[in-house]
Amino acid sequence: MANIRLISSSMKFHRIWAVILRYNYLFKHSLDRQVDAFYWPTVDLVLWGITSTYLASHGNNINFAVLMIISGIVLWIILWRGQYEFTVNILEDMWNKNLINMFASPLTLYEWISAFVLLGIVKASISVSYAALAAFILYKINLFVYGFKLLPFLFLLLMTGWWVGLMVGGLIVRFGGKVQNFAWSMVFLIAPFSAIYYPLAALPLWAQKIALIVPSSYIFEGARQVILTGVVDPVKIGAAIALNVLYLTLAFWFFKTSFKKVLQRGLVKLY
Amino acid sequence: MKQKSYKSVFSKVMQKEILVAKNLSKQFGSFKAVDRVSFSLREGEILGLLGPNGAGKTTTIQMLLGVLTPTKGEVFYFGKNLRANREEILEEVNFSSTYTNLPWDLTVWENLHFVSYLYKIGDRKKRVDELIDIFKLKELRKKRIIELSAGQVTRVNLAKAFINYPKVLLLDEPTASLDPDVASYIREFILKERRQFKVSIVFCSHNMAEVEELCDRVIFINHGKIIADDTPEKLARSIEFCRVQLLVENLRKLQDFCSKNNFGFTVEGRYITIKVKEKHLADFLQDISAAGISYDEISIEKPTLEDYFIQNSSKIH
Repeated sequence: MANIRLISSSMKFHRIWAVILRYNYLFKHSLDRQVDAFYWPTVDLVLWGITSTYLASHGNNINFAVLMIISGIVLWIILWRGQYEFTVNILEDMWNKNLINMFASPLTLYEWISAFVLLGIVKASISVSYAALAAFILYKINLFVYGFKLLPFLFLLLMTGWWVGLMVGGLIVRFGGKVQNFAWSMVFLIAPFSAIYYPLAALPLWAQKIALIVPSSYIFEGARQVILTGVVDPVKIGAAIALNVLYLTLAFWFFKTSFKKVLQRGLVKLY
Repeated sequence: MKQKSYKSVFSKVMQKEILVAKNLSKQFGSFKAVDRVSFSLREGEILGLLGPNGAGKTTTIQMLLGVLTPTKGEVFYFGKNLRANREEILEEVNFSSTYTNLPWDLTVWENLHFVSYLYKIGDRKKRVDELIDIFKLKELRKKRIIELSAGQVTRVNLAKAFINYPKVLLLDEPTASLDPDVASYIREFILKERRQFKVSIVFCSHNMAEVEELCDRVIFINHGKIIADDTPEKLARSIEFCRVQLLVENLRKLQDFCSKNNFGFTVEGRYITIKVKEKHLADFLQDISAAGISYDEISIEKPTLEDYFIQNSSKIH
């Protein structure tokens, strides 16, 4: 039996806005979500900042070490936020049994995903601005000075967050609450291979091979290069784009297939 | 009975088929939840969907809403296939159900406000405020769903169901948990909407009196199959037995008479209620009189939809 057509070429902004409104109202009332947005980034910055300052004070180049760690934390927030808007918001609607209200309306899968993407952009901008400001206040590190040179990397990090979000979202839709922990933990699978706080060369050889197929490794390496030397490496950007586009396509296909699968069981059975 | 007279007037004018379910089947593994169910809903009609728990009503409603893919069969609204025209169709359809929740962390107003954006409607804030008035939610508008009673949540769900001025409404237990006065108010509102806007409604309820009052037609489902499709009156009439309640002086004698002649009965205080075939009623009264049993009070209860429900649910289980 063919599935109901949940994908449509004609997207309506008012429906995307409905989803954005729904999650924004949730954010307003949910201490959990607010803590996730501001508290943990602050804790990370304070803990890692102090740790790196202490360790670096016993070495040769204090500023270099602190800059590596702090910029890594701030940039990781973008990737993490991009995937979080997919996974945790899907979970919220699953817990609330609200998915039927959404999909018994004309809302399409494209519109739902578009809302997550827009939410990711807005919330990542807020979180990163907040974290960058905190980094400036706490450690006098001004990440804003790198301006437009960092922008492509920021966008690529968001893209990475989106495909991770779609993959994990697909798993949640397929297997329900049994895998809900993935919403917070799965993204950390790619963290060791992303060279967030250290250069790629610091990884063991086998891990470097894996890092070759992880787009965030090119992004963090490239962003670090911008921060340290001011040079933008188009090869790293190209590799990250190619891998991100490939994974985004696969992740979208997986998410769509999972959603079709859950429609066979019934959205009411997703919990 | 204002509603009944209205029902009969309406039955003459409703013609256009708004919703058609053709051979709908849903199989979960080896279990057939719905088996080749076909029916139609005409413009302005209120169609009752009845059946015991697990009969396949909710599964059918979910397939009608497009949130469950049928194993076989098709759903058509306004002559268009739901599969191919989902967005266009769902713009005109809405539902209220006990098996879904509205986000519990959001206030009543926020819930209705975000839902209003899912549909193409005019002044959204005005519509939300209108529904808040209609469903008497004014004092609850700033309360979060989690803080409401079950009855209050039901009212918010109903307000949500009407937000897009739907042409078709699927209501699953819409008055469950409501106080009787509120339930009656809601029933009147549903009838008013149907009268004014020719809203067509599929109505699931376990309250048989409510179904008799509201529904033009009833489909009875059991084990995933339609076993009857008729007006509530005709379904009730298909039950041959009526209940005769008597207040007699010699209760013992009448009990013996019933036992001897295989009449089912129940005794409550000084009253005895006897199940008698409607066509044998006159003979029965003559016979007890001939047996020397006289009564001080008599009331005869005709079979109701509830009797039909009980007989047909128990027959199969």
